[in-house]
Amino acid sequence: MIGAGKRRRVFFALLIGVCVLAVGAIYADLEIGYYTAANLGRIAQPAPPNLRPNGVYNVAAYPLYTPQLVPGAGRQDAAAYCNTCHTPSYITMQPPLPAATWKAEVDKMGKAFGAQIPTDSQTRILQYLDAHYTPETRKR
Amino acid sequence: MSENSSSYTRRALLKTIGIGGGALALSHLAGANALAQQQPSAARRLSSFTGPGANPYWNSVGPMATYPQKAPLVLLTDRPVQLETPRQYFLDAITPNDAFFVRWHLESIPNEVDLSSWRLRVEGNVNKPLELSFSDLLHKFKPVTFAAVNQCSGNSRSRFEPRVAGGQWGNGAMGCARWRGVHFRELLDMAGVKSGSVQVQMQGLERGKGPKGMPSYEFKKSLDLSNPVLDESIVAYSMNGEPLPMLNGFPVRLIVPGYFATYWVKCLTDVRLLDKPDENFWMNPAYRVPDTPRGTTTPADVAAGKVKMIPINRMPVRSFIISPDGTTKIPAGLPVAVRGTSLSGFGRVVKVEFSDAARGGWREARLGEDLGPYAFRTWEYPWTPERPGKYSLAVRATDEKGNVQPDEGVWNPGGYLWNKIERQEIVVGDAA
Repeated sequence: MIGAGKRRRVFFALLIGVCVLAVGAIYADLEIGYYTAANLGRIAQPAPPNLRPNGVYNVAAYPLYTPQLVPGAGRQDAAAYCNTCHTPSYITMQPPLPAATWKAEVDKMGKAFGAQIPTDSQTRILQYLDAHYTPETRKR
Repeated sequence: MSENSSSYTRRALLKTIGIGGGALALSHLAGANALAQQQPSAARRLSSFTGPGANPYWNSVGPMATYPQKAPLVLLTDRPVQLETPRQYFLDAITPNDAFFVRWHLESIPNEVDLSSWRLRVEGNVNKPLELSFSDLLHKFKPVTFAAVNQCSGNSRSRFEPRVAGGQWGNGAMGCARWRGVHFRELLDMAGVKSGSVQVQMQGLERGKGPKGMPSYEFKKSLDLSNPVLDESIVAYSMNGEPLPMLNGFPVRLIVPGYFATYWVKCLTDVRLLDKPDENFWMNPAYRVPDTPRGTTTPADVAAGKVKMIPINRMPVRSFIISPDGTTKIPAGLPVAVRGTSLSGFGRVVKVEFSDAARGGWREARLGEDLGPYAFRTWEYPWTPERPGKYSLAVRATDEKGNVQPDEGVWNPGGYLWNKIERQEIVVGDAA
């Protein structure tokens, strides 16, 4: 009699144990609670400005997020002349463009927009763009 | 009997547990193994550019960035500032001011405006040149309010094939706000337009580093005086019941309902009546489209000089799927609300149709609130994908002039007028 009761208790203890194990296994399979180092960056909030009730309405400086141009011969010329009027992201955001399109763009900057770029610098800028920003050459 | 049956039951149970336990132990091991292999890695970043094929994403691929008076937006360029509105903001017909896209041409844009000295001038070929203060605009004219979509001419330029140079916008260079201001014509009438005037030119505070007289120094746009859109245009001092954000043209900008944003001059200060057509770069050759159906042509025809170009004007009809956006799976059998927005520069969107390709054919979606002929019109379609698999959702709009979105793209050298039917791939998962 005592033996049978003890067996039953062991049996139920085992059953409960198995259930706990099963539940644990199920949860483990749901892949919860994984964290990893941030890859997408974070954005700081601006502090509220100090405002006065006069006629002047202003905002803080516009932040620069200047991308890096690919290292290589001619980068100095591109940085010096192109960056006068605009950020280098005007280059980096473009899809890979054929050499003829880059030539037309550089020509437009001089002829239509009046950018004063010496001829030898124009040549080096075009060689630089062709070496890094065409369908054949663009890596990143 | 009872002993036997209980013994059998117990044995059977133990056996079951034994198998189950073994299976559990195995599945636990397998699970741990799977965990080691499938542990979620950090979200991947988009590349900083797309191409040489079309940009496959809804928005452009730049990073999110913050600017004064703005929520984090997609950065195209930081100098001058160009920011795109993320997709999810288009679930609502009204785009919040802090999420409204930004597009400037030149780098010297105001951080500060002093309203005690700021004036709006109306001059040129007029009888009585005007100088109006911000307070004059608020108090001396009857206010007009309406909702209208402001869309960059180059919106969706990154869809073009072959790709064209320029701002590589996804679909988010657009927004719809409630604009409040004064009738543009009322200002012109007050100044007294002299006979012989043909165009009205607009210029704002935007300046560049280029030499004076060059388009890299100043941005100017003009409209024909005979254009009926001038009767609907306003000089807006309020956007969604708030002052305009500096980046969207504080203190006032021109609103040209139905027309692309190139004419909606920001930080407007100078209105000039011209006695001959404006031929400055920003009118010609910039912002011109082929004088062909849908403004489409080919690179070969352009190179051969065969294409007559005209100033860009009204926005063709468009519609967009905003949600679901394809970033999550949908369990089979779960009803989901497919939602989106639509617009046309030719008048009200009167019909939006939805297709999931699986059943074929177009089905009419339910339209959201009508906020006026030039506003976004949201739409919704209750959709239940029955089986797991990949679905291609499509949407097309029809406006009150009978213009229907086609399933062909356009090509022109400026990257303008994109209005091809939009699609969204959706993965439906097993729910059994």
